[in-house]
Amino acid sequence: MQTHKFTERTRMSELVNEDASLLSTISRFGISFGFGDKTVKEACLANNIDCNTFLAVVNFLSEGNIEITEVLDTISIETVIGYLKNAHEYFLDYKLPSIRNKLIAAVDSSDQSEPYKVVFMKFFDEYFSEVKKHMEYEDKTVFPYVIKLLKGKTEGKYKIADFEDQHSDVDSKLAELKNILIKYYPAKGVNYMLNDVLFDLLSCEKDLSMHNQVEDFFFVPYIEAIEQKNKLA
Amino acid sequence: MNDTTLKIAIAEPSVIIRSGLSVVLKRVTGLHIQTFEITTIDLINNYVRLHKPDVLIINPAYWGAVDVARLKQDSGVGDLKCFALTSAMTDPAIIKQYDDEITTYDTAESIREKLNKLFEPAVIEAGEENETLSQREKEILVCVVKGQTNKEIAQDLFLSTHTVITHRRNIARKLEIHSTAGLTIYAIVNKLVELDEIKKDM
Repeated sequence: MQTHKFTERTRMSELVNEDASLLSTISRFGISFGFGDKTVKEACLANNIDCNTFLAVVNFLSEGNIEITEVLDTISIETVIGYLKNAHEYFLDYKLPSIRNKLIAAVDSSDQSEPYKVVFMKFFDEYFSEVKKHMEYEDKTVFPYVIKLLKGKTEGKYKIADFEDQHSDVDSKLAELKNILIKYYPAKGVNYMLNDVLFDLLSCEKDLSMHNQVEDFFFVPYIEAIEQKNKLA
Repeated sequence: MNDTTLKIAIAEPSVIIRSGLSVVLKRVTGLHIQTFEITTIDLINNYVRLHKPDVLIINPAYWGAVDVARLKQDSGVGDLKCFALTSAMTDPAIIKQYDDEITTYDTAESIREKLNKLFEPAVIEAGEENETLSQREKEILVCVVKGQTNKEIAQDLFLSTHTVITHRRNIARKLEIHSTAGLTIYAIVNKLVELDEIKKDM
C-alpha cells in the first residue's frame, strides 16, 4: 500500500503552507479560497469534486518524482478532465497573454526597441499559437474521445498513445526563448522588467511541464488501461 | 533523445533506494536527467513501450529473472541501455546481461563516468565545447534568417547542400536555438542583420 503526504484529513490551509505551488492546482480544480479550517475532504465535498482524484493529483505534483505504479481505479476521470481544461484556460487566456505584455514592455524599454519588438513578438506569437493548437486539440479531440470511451463507445482507430509524443515540441520552444533572453539579450545595466519576464517564463515553463506530466503519467496510463480492458471484453 | 535530457527509469522495490538514486542522478554534472521510478516489475514493459526511456536501471536481486536482451528487443527503443543496480555481490553471469552495473556505493561522479562510456561524447560533452560561431557559420546564419533555402545558400556560397546542412546543425547545437524565428532574434540582437533586410518575412 502506497502512502502519501496529504490525506483527506489534511487541512486545506496546511496544504498551501506546505507547498505554495499547489495554489494554482487548487484553483484549477475549481476550489476557491477562504478555506477556513476545512479539510481536503470537506472542501472537495463543498465544491462537488472527487476527493480521491484531488488527492492523487496533489500528491503527484507535490512529491516531485514520477513514480510509475499500478493505475488507480478509484479516480474520477471527469474530474481530471475538468482540471486539465481549467489549466488550459489559465495558460491561454491569462498566463501567456500576461507574459506577452511584459515582454513587450521589457523590449520597449531597450534602445533598439523597434527591431527587437518585431522579432521577439514574431517568435512569441508563433510559440503561443503552437501551444494553443495543442491545447485546443486536447479540448476538442482527446477529451471528447475519452468521455465516449468511458461510456463504452469506441470508434475509429484513434488511440490515446497517439497523443503522447507531442508535448516535447511545445516545451522546447519556450526553453529556447528563455535561452535567448538569458544568453543573448544585450541588456544594459539592471533591467528589472527583463528579470520579471524571465522569472515569469521560468515559472510558466515549470508549470507547463508539470501540467504535461499530469497528462502523460496520470491521465494517459489511465485511459490506456480502459482501452486494454475494452479490447479484452 | 533530444540534446541534453536523458530519461532514466529506475525499477527498484525499495522507495528509499529508488528515490535516493533519483536524487544522486540529478546531481550528475553536464547532463539534465529526468528520472522515473518504477515500483513493480510487471509495470516495466508497459512503461518502456509508452515512455521510451534512454536508460533503464533494474535491481536484479529482486527481479533476477529479467531477460534483458528480450526487454531491449520488446522496448521499441532503438538503443535502450540497461544497468544492474546492486547492493551486494551479485552473480557475474547476471551482471553480464546488462550494459553496466551501478552499486549503492556509486557517486554522482562515478555514475557520470559510466554514462559517459555508454553514450557517445557528443551527448555528454555538448555543454563543454566552444560555443562561438565561426565566420562561415555566421554567413550561413544570415542567409537562413533572410529566408534562403539550403539550396540557395549552397549556390551563393559555393558549398554543397550537404555542407550547408551540417553547418546549420552545428549552429543550432552551439546556440541551442533550433527555430528560424529564434535564430532571427539572435541575428538581430547581435547585429548580424538589420531589420530592413528581413522585413519581408516578418
